[in-house]
Amino acid sequence: MAGISATRLRTIFALFAVLSIVLSARVVYWQTVARGGLLERARGQVVSDEVIPAQRGTIRDRSGAILAATVELRSLYAIPSRVKDKPAAARSLGVLLGRDAAPILERLTSGGEWVFIQRRLPETTSEAIAKVRIDGLGFIKEPKRLYPNEDLAAHALGFVNDDGVGQGGVEGWYDEVLRGVNGTLVVERDPADRSIAVGLREAVAPRHGADVTLTIDLVVQTSAERELRAAVERDRAASGAIVVIDPRDGAIRAMASYPTFHPAGIAAADPASMRDRAIAWPYEPGSVMKVVTMAAGIETGVVTPTTTYEDRGYADIGGRRLLNALGRAWGPTTMTQVLERSANAGAVFVGAKLGGQRLSDAIRAFGFGTRTGVDLAGEANGLVRPLAEWYPVDVGTAAFGQGLTSTPLQLAVAYAAIANGGVIVRPYVVASWRDADGEHRTAPAAVRRAVSAGTASALRDMLVSAVDNGLAQGARVPGFSVGGKTGTAQIPSPDGRYIDDDYISTFAGFFPAVDPTFVAVIVLERPRSKLFGTVTAMSTFRAVAQDTLRYARIQPDRKP
Amino acid sequence: MRAATWEMRSFLGASAAIAVAFVLALAYLASSTGVATAGYEAQRLQATRDELRRRNTLLELELAKLDAPARIDSEAKRLGLVRVPFIPVVQAEPLTARK
Repeated sequence: MAGISATRLRTIFALFAVLSIVLSARVVYWQTVARGGLLERARGQVVSDEVIPAQRGTIRDRSGAILAATVELRSLYAIPSRVKDKPAAARSLGVLLGRDAAPILERLTSGGEWVFIQRRLPETTSEAIAKVRIDGLGFIKEPKRLYPNEDLAAHALGFVNDDGVGQGGVEGWYDEVLRGVNGTLVVERDPADRSIAVGLREAVAPRHGADVTLTIDLVVQTSAERELRAAVERDRAASGAIVVIDPRDGAIRAMASYPTFHPAGIAAADPASMRDRAIAWPYEPGSVMKVVTMAAGIETGVVTPTTTYEDRGYADIGGRRLLNALGRAWGPTTMTQVLERSANAGAVFVGAKLGGQRLSDAIRAFGFGTRTGVDLAGEANGLVRPLAEWYPVDVGTAAFGQGLTSTPLQLAVAYAAIANGGVIVRPYVVASWRDADGEHRTAPAAVRRAVSAGTASALRDMLVSAVDNGLAQGARVPGFSVGGKTGTAQIPSPDGRYIDDDYISTFAGFFPAVDPTFVAVIVLERPRSKLFGTVTAMSTFRAVAQDTLRYARIQPDRKP
Repeated sequence: MRAATWEMRSFLGASAAIAVAFVLALAYLASSTGVATAGYEAQRLQATRDELRRRNTLLELELAKLDAPARIDSEAKRLGLVRVPFIPVVQAEPLTARK
């Protein structure tokens, strides 16, 4: 100690003092000025900020049967560096997944730190893989939209894409209702990735999507699809569509299009099969439109059901001669018989008496040329040219459904007006949806009156006669009164002519006719059977009507 | 004697204060541990609940598949059953009139 001079001691003391001051200043700096930054970094290590996904709502039929639901399925991933024996793991997984082992091994040796092996596995498969306990494999849960009835009502339901966005049908139209709103969770986590109960926790709960109930009835839909598929295959038709609605309020009970697709396997679907022909297929409807012409004639008083004209097998109008089917002359024919025999000359007779203005007004009053307003994505307008663009002959051709286009749903709505006493109703497919605020019901909407109740009643009788005594006898249902009309239309070619030997066959009708509860429209494109597919269309209508009446437990109104 | 009493009192006072502080610290620790344990338990129960809900949805979907009219139709066909072309319905009115 004696060797250390006072100066040295002072220097050492001063050095320590300076160091202490520097350290203290640094501590003060970290505790005050840079405190926020340090806390942020510490928080970043333990706090996780995550999205709580909202569950997409379930879609049910009118009886509560599930048509679409979202469930979390397990997706298999691998951390390749932790997989000890990669070829053996690939072989085991290949067997369990029912896949070739080579692409699995390729993924395991791709050099990625973290790779998906297969996403959204069936539950049994993921359980089998979990039991094998291969090191380096794990599962995460991912939502998947499932359709337990497979392709049933595919067009009405639509589908959900990989981003979770609904497209087409109900999934598309009601996407915001079904999707809900994601929540967020900010929470501190321990090293085992468990949230710390006494730590920071800020949560905004997700608002799950609403559960939607459709007007579609699973049983009627199944019958409609089975019969439509059989008709298309039997007649080797290019496509077909069917619509069944309740004429009293416009509720759609069944709606199908064929060819169809599986909404859960959209990647493999043929794009042509995804077109909803029931609402997005405008075609020339043909003789089913004679009902609209006759409705206008009776409503304006230019004809009555018993008005008679001399049928010569043709009618001249606008300098053109329009023929009956097969050129057949019927002689003296009442208006009721015009519908029974589907006489083009009779429709032209009424059209000529009406004139273009009243006929055009009637066609529009029945809803042709404008969307029905159905709550489904992708509805087509159909085409009814403005009256100013009509040639004189168009009064005749429009009277039996040529020169204008309609979708099957528009036809169903027009026939529903005749069935319900003359009122056009807005068709709808969603009956209600239920969310946190309670139940929201769709109110049936009457759009306008197309014809008086008296005219509608007269037409119902005429259409019942068409089935009982006319060409539409193939649509008879034992024990029940049925009203309806056939329609066979040629297909226009791009050059404005009609294609030879290609037709679109339609049957539109209602049952039971005394108090119509159902309206059904069946359309077949390019059927290859005799009589242009009308027999098939009628037998399809009859089969669907029988199933529907039986299921609805409606009492027969006639002796079989 | 007085000094001893004062010292004793001080000692006892300090000991009591230390003991109370110790007990309070223990109680706080026990309570914190209890909350943390309950938090982990709540999380485990939440995970169990979510898994049960998921399995329930899967079972509901399975049930919907089995209940599908198309499946029942094909099963009936497989068993050799055929559709009845017409179901006779007994009218209620004549029966009532007969009675």
